[in-house]
Amino acid sequence: MPLIHGMFDSGALPAAERLVQFTDRRQKVLADNVAGLSTPFFKPRDLDPRLFQAALRDAIDQRRASVSPTSGPLEIENTAQLQFHEDGIRTRPQPIHENILFHDQNNRDLERLMQRVAENTMAHRLGIELVRNGLGIIRTAISERIG
Amino acid sequence: MFGVLDISTSALVAQRQRMIAIAQNMAISSAAVDPNGNPDDFRRRIVVFAPGDPATDKPDGVHVKEVLYDQGPFRKALEPGHKFADKDGYVRYANIDPMMEMVNAVEATRAYEANITMAEATKNMMQASLRLLV
Repeated sequence: MPLIHGMFDSGALPAAERLVQFTDRRQKVLADNVAGLSTPFFKPRDLDPRLFQAALRDAIDQRRASVSPTSGPLEIENTAQLQFHEDGIRTRPQPIHENILFHDQNNRDLERLMQRVAENTMAHRLGIELVRNGLGIIRTAISERIG
Repeated sequence: MFGVLDISTSALVAQRQRMIAIAQNMAISSAAVDPNGNPDDFRRRIVVFAPGDPATDKPDGVHVKEVLYDQGPFRKALEPGHKFADKDGYVRYANIDPMMEMVNAVEATRAYEANITMAEATKNMMQASLRLLV
């Protein structure tokens, strides 16, 4: 989602935008895992949301410690799974090693997979609402009218 | 996000093709092998999945790579009066176990429903994103 610098870099908007981008990429990985439930030798993968949260938190703390603590772009450090660009996030999903292997070496675990899908969907919805809220404030300021 | 729906759809198509093979197996499970016919017509069909979706030419998703015929031995029953009986009086029947096919059908149904749920979740996310326009 391209944003105009300065106007859309304030408050929680940059963090919310990154959250939407991350949940968008993760949804694709999870869909691939569900599609591969019956595929022999398929290796489920995922993007760890905790690593994303840690990177985002560090970037927010860094911005808070700067001269403009509530505005400006977030400088997020790349991780092994995530490379942050201006237009989005390039991802490198990692294999999940949580379950025992079936005879076809697929470690399918439908229950945990659907849990991840549910959590990702809710996180995406949260990000969209935060972005919508932020854009609503800007729209109110532009209209010079409250309500 | 639109590419995500393609992944779920490819899985739905593959699981449906698997159910068709299972239904065919169930239909011929009690058929006697015609000695003058093609023996493969009475063998169990095995659907093999592979990653990738030829419809979108992408490495994500899944598709049916091939349909194999189970080369295991046919089931034999002693029926000397049967017109398909061999010289020893044995009739060969399709090498299909209905119980195994039922288990496979349950598993295919479960996977189909999981992909439907996935597609619904993706649809909800897309609809939520559209609310940004309002």
